[in-house]
Amino acid sequence: MFDDPRPQMQRTRGQALVAMSRRGGATRLDRLVQSGSAKAFLPRVHADVPEIVFLNTAGGLTGGDKLSFGVNVGDGARVVAATQTAERVYRAAEGVAEVDVCLTVGKGAELHWLPQETIAFEGAALARETTVDLDRDARFLMVETLVLGRAAMGERVNTLSLTDRRTVRREGRPVFVEPLAIDTVALAARNPATLGDAQALTTLAFIAPGAEDALGPVRAALEGSPVNAAASAWDGKLTLRAMSPDAHGLRRLVAHVLTQLRGGPLPRVWQV
Amino acid sequence: MGTGVPSGMTTAMTDADLLTLTQWLSPAFPVGSFAYSHGLEQAIDAGAVRDAEALFIWLSNILDRGTGRSDAVLLCAAQKRSVSVEALSDLARALCSSRERWEETRAQGAAFTEAFNALNDFSHDPAPLPVAVGHAASLLHLAPERVATLYLHAFASNLVSCAVRFMPLGQNAGQRVLARLHPLIEAVGAEAATTRPEAIRVSTPGADLGAMQHETMDVRIFKT
Repeated sequence: MFDDPRPQMQRTRGQALVAMSRRGGATRLDRLVQSGSAKAFLPRVHADVPEIVFLNTAGGLTGGDKLSFGVNVGDGARVVAATQTAERVYRAAEGVAEVDVCLTVGKGAELHWLPQETIAFEGAALARETTVDLDRDARFLMVETLVLGRAAMGERVNTLSLTDRRTVRREGRPVFVEPLAIDTVALAARNPATLGDAQALTTLAFIAPGAEDALGPVRAALEGSPVNAAASAWDGKLTLRAMSPDAHGLRRLVAHVLTQLRGGPLPRVWQV
Repeated sequence: MGTGVPSGMTTAMTDADLLTLTQWLSPAFPVGSFAYSHGLEQAIDAGAVRDAEALFIWLSNILDRGTGRSDAVLLCAAQKRSVSVEALSDLARALCSSRERWEETRAQGAAFTEAFNALNDFSHDPAPLPVAVGHAASLLHLAPERVATLYLHAFASNLVSCAVRFMPLGQNAGQRVLARLHPLIEAVGAEAATTRPEAIRVSTPGADLGAMQHETMDVRIFKT
């Protein structure tokens, strides 16, 4: 009578890859491959730089799911990529949700990787690996925001297994590695060295020749914000970190900084 | 065990190597560690670290979930030569979360290498501090976990000394914090020897953010 205790859960699988290159003075689509619940589309935008929008049609992630997203930007091309909505990671009954992001940026090319927040709910298990390969003189801007539950709904996340490793290589050598991990122990023993009172945290990285020149404007954009945030720049990279008990306040600050840094509006999907 | 070396001689050699390592990690070795607080000055200034208990918690997290553990893994890999010194130097550099973190490990690593080369007539290339110490320690007959444990102790001891200089904390209270960290230091050192560099994880966003804020403090007595 105890045979077949659990039905086989349906796991989400998906892969979406977009390749673009510069031809005839403009950045054009070379290839768009998508399968399963991962989708990519290119909304018509009235700007020089095309936008790619990724979407997980499963409406969230849970243990055992596997998604991968990729962008290849050819030499000299410029591309902005974002996600349609915040990605929600729900309680994992078993296993870990795996997300792989692979980005390549050719010689003198530029990619802005601007996914919206990842919201981790109580009991979520996520292993995300973002790997970026930059060729000579490529310019890359990335932002990643993690939100721990929906504070506005009174949710408090106590159980979590999250690893979010971000690696940027230039011509094969690592130049930026952030192997962030947040687990149940870190949530139980909150203190100023770890999460403090933060419900949301952001890392921004801008890796480009001369990225240091943006430090002044970025620091100016942080001034007057109630959000705990700071920026630093050295050796062709600029990083910014922000942490806040208020996910909305953090989102406003990040949008403001990105607008200043990019010198133009955010992809429309951001809706800020 | 098949080496033909009597055990008494092994002990004598190990003691000599242990003394060499102790010299390298001593505050008298011209590395200049006293000038680097790893962001602790900012944490004290911001009120995040106010007393001995808060200092213990802050240091525990740095050692267990931050730079302490990742440096120990880099050191062990350099000593075991499981990954090339060049690749580990690149990784150590890429792991630095802000300009001052990079300056701290770069400058101390360069000073360590210079002193090591002068002392031994070697010509090691400069490398970030944990990689430089691990590379040098590959010449010693000491287990990597042992070297990592003593390295972490020197790191923690220096930060306790920074705290004693910068906050209302007596020498003895500082030393009690350091003594309380010994079991953690031993555990992290032992685990580091079996952790691959690609498995390094960091869970100290608060300390990393604080280290960035140190750059814009009006009055600073430490370089980081």
